[in-house]
Amino acid sequence: MRNTVKSILLGAVFGSILIFSDAFNWYRIQEMFHFDSFHMYGLIGSAIVVAGSVTWLLKKAGVKSASKQLIQTKKKEIRPVGNSIGGLIFGAGWALTGACTAPIFILIGYQWEIGIITLAGAVIGAVLYGILNKKLPL
Amino acid sequence: MSLLPWYIAGPLIGLMVPILLIAREKQLGLSSTYRYLGSFILPRNSYFNYDRKKDAWQVQFAIGIASAAILIFQFDLYESESLDSSKEYLRYFPEVCSLQNWFMFAIGGIFVGFGARYAGGCTAGHCIMGNSQLSVSSILSTCMFFAGGLAVSHFILPYLFKS
Repeated sequence: MRNTVKSILLGAVFGSILIFSDAFNWYRIQEMFHFDSFHMYGLIGSAIVVAGSVTWLLKKAGVKSASKQLIQTKKKEIRPVGNSIGGLIFGAGWALTGACTAPIFILIGYQWEIGIITLAGAVIGAVLYGILNKKLPL
Repeated sequence: MSLLPWYIAGPLIGLMVPILLIAREKQLGLSSTYRYLGSFILPRNSYFNYDRKKDAWQVQFAIGIASAAILIFQFDLYESESLDSSKEYLRYFPEVCSLQNWFMFAIGGIFVGFGARYAGGCTAGHCIMGNSQLSVSSILSTCMFFAGGLAVSHFILPYLFKS
């Protein structure tokens, strides 16, 4: 219960930052792909630097999590074909909808019909992956 | 509220990674939400027949995002900044998020869902979480996300909205 509340609240904070920084805005995403503004690059770049350095420092300092565990991170396995082909397809969807995973949930609040349609599409996409996954090269 | 500059919003987004690790021992990511939801549609499929409880937190996280969005837009707290209208891509379409374009969003959504599962992550899981750990699969995925987006934004969208 406590954990559920924590996850929802953290999601709300994350969503609010993405909204007020325009990361869900279709035009911002096109602007990024047209190299017309530094905004999205600064946003993603500084997020990566802060995430990496703070996590590294916490690990170095031996900081423990809420349930008294040392902080651990796992790297995702490399899947050359999956990362490449899946990545290209994901990128195409990102440009079409102006939304990646989190912004799809923001669209539900912004323009609910479009948000639900996009979310339904994404779930169908995952279902297609589930059906095809054994036949796809890794 | 007007636009948060990147040098404030970016570090705040970055801080979500250590905060999630401390508060929930979870690595930032969101695209497993689709696997979770898909497992209700095809429960017998081998990809979806898994312990979905481990992804429940992402669904809760997503519910938090949607709730914040509903409140913020309901109470008009978001002020959009007018982007420079001399830019060509702004002329593609004046009001993109309208039902008239539902098909583009439906297809785009399918691409996002399929691509994120095939690539093993999305912008949160790969671009932010994975890259911050210098994971090779995330660096490769991020380059490919970008390549796919560039191609569509430059070559497909102008054609779609040609007036």
